Amino acid sequence: MHKIADVEIQHDIMVANKKLAQRNQRILDKANVFSVDVLGAIGSGKTSLIELLIKKSDEKIGVIAGDVISKFDAGRFQQYDIPVVGLNTGKECHLDAHLVEHAIEDMPLDEIDTLYIENVGNLICPVDFDLGSHMRMVVISVSEGDDTVEKHPLIFKDADLIVINKIDIADVVGADAEKMVKDAKYLNPDVKIIKSSLKTEEGLTEIIKAIKDFRDSIN
Amino acid sequence: MHELSMADAIVKTVLDVAEKNQAEEILEVTIEVGKLTMLNPEQLRFLLDVLKENTLLEGAEIIIEEIPVEIKCLSCGYAGSTNLNDSDHYLVIVKCPECDERNLEIVTGQECNVKNIRIEKPE
Repeated sequence: MHKIADVEIQHDIMVANKKLAQRNQRILDKANVFSVDVLGAIGSGKTSLIELLIKKSDEKIGVIAGDVISKFDAGRFQQYDIPVVGLNTGKECHLDAHLVEHAIEDMPLDEIDTLYIENVGNLICPVDFDLGSHMRMVVISVSEGDDTVEKHPLIFKDADLIVINKIDIADVVGADAEKMVKDAKYLNPDVKIIKSSLKTEEGLTEIIKAIKDFRDSIN
Repeated sequence: MHELSMADAIVKTVLDVAEKNQAEEILEVTIEVGKLTMLNPEQLRFLLDVLKENTLLEGAEIIIEEIPVEIKCLSCGYAGSTNLNDSDHYLVIVKCPECDERNLEIVTGQECNVKNIRIEKPE
């Protein structure tokens, strides 16, 4: 004989990820490591910005390079002789807290004071996945179109720092950088927004200061 | 856009619970998906249908309940649902419909919850 039974599960996958993220943050806090989730569109300048931060800031930096195939970005970071963990997502369009948990295990936390986690180039999926980082920095560029911010509100609403890159080519690509700033301010009135050209290093000093200020503000 | 990993996590959760409860067949699965998640319910359903083949879930009916967005305004105290406009469906997270302030807390709408299953098991 068989019977039919209803079984309550109530397992929220978003909540499960959040719990793992909180655990990641506790591990980082214990090691006194400040971490930044670097989000942004493909080709917006995430990797270039992290490279410049390695070169120009006085922090001891480690990088988790997340990508569908991570070896290309990881290779770029390795040349600076810093701890780098490549994180292949394979088919996945975002990092999640579980993937980052394993990457953190491979990162020598006692050798660094700041951990940059480069997310997969994507303005949509990473929104749903907290990684446990202390700060979320979103990097976009004018060449993605000046309607990028208003089309992807959620990622900008939760950002702690927004970098609008490649402003030196705004006129060439016909983009209005001020519109992007205005849209970001509407979604996230208190967020720091910096216009930059990583090629000429315009805005870089400001970005370094904004990251430091944010770190000081949560300590 | 990450429906496949979500569908995979849902299937694993369901099969794990079903096995622990000695299910011989899963008849029904109910999943709650919040309207603010980056998940498209129809894509999620399609992928669940693909993943459930050759498992205890094979014959199960998948019920997806969409969870509306509810907010709490920390300025005026308004709590509840809000008018969702499909052409600008994120507006709700930016401004309170009552007082226009931006000091909001999102109460519901961000879930991907495996709520319950109906199974057939031996007496």
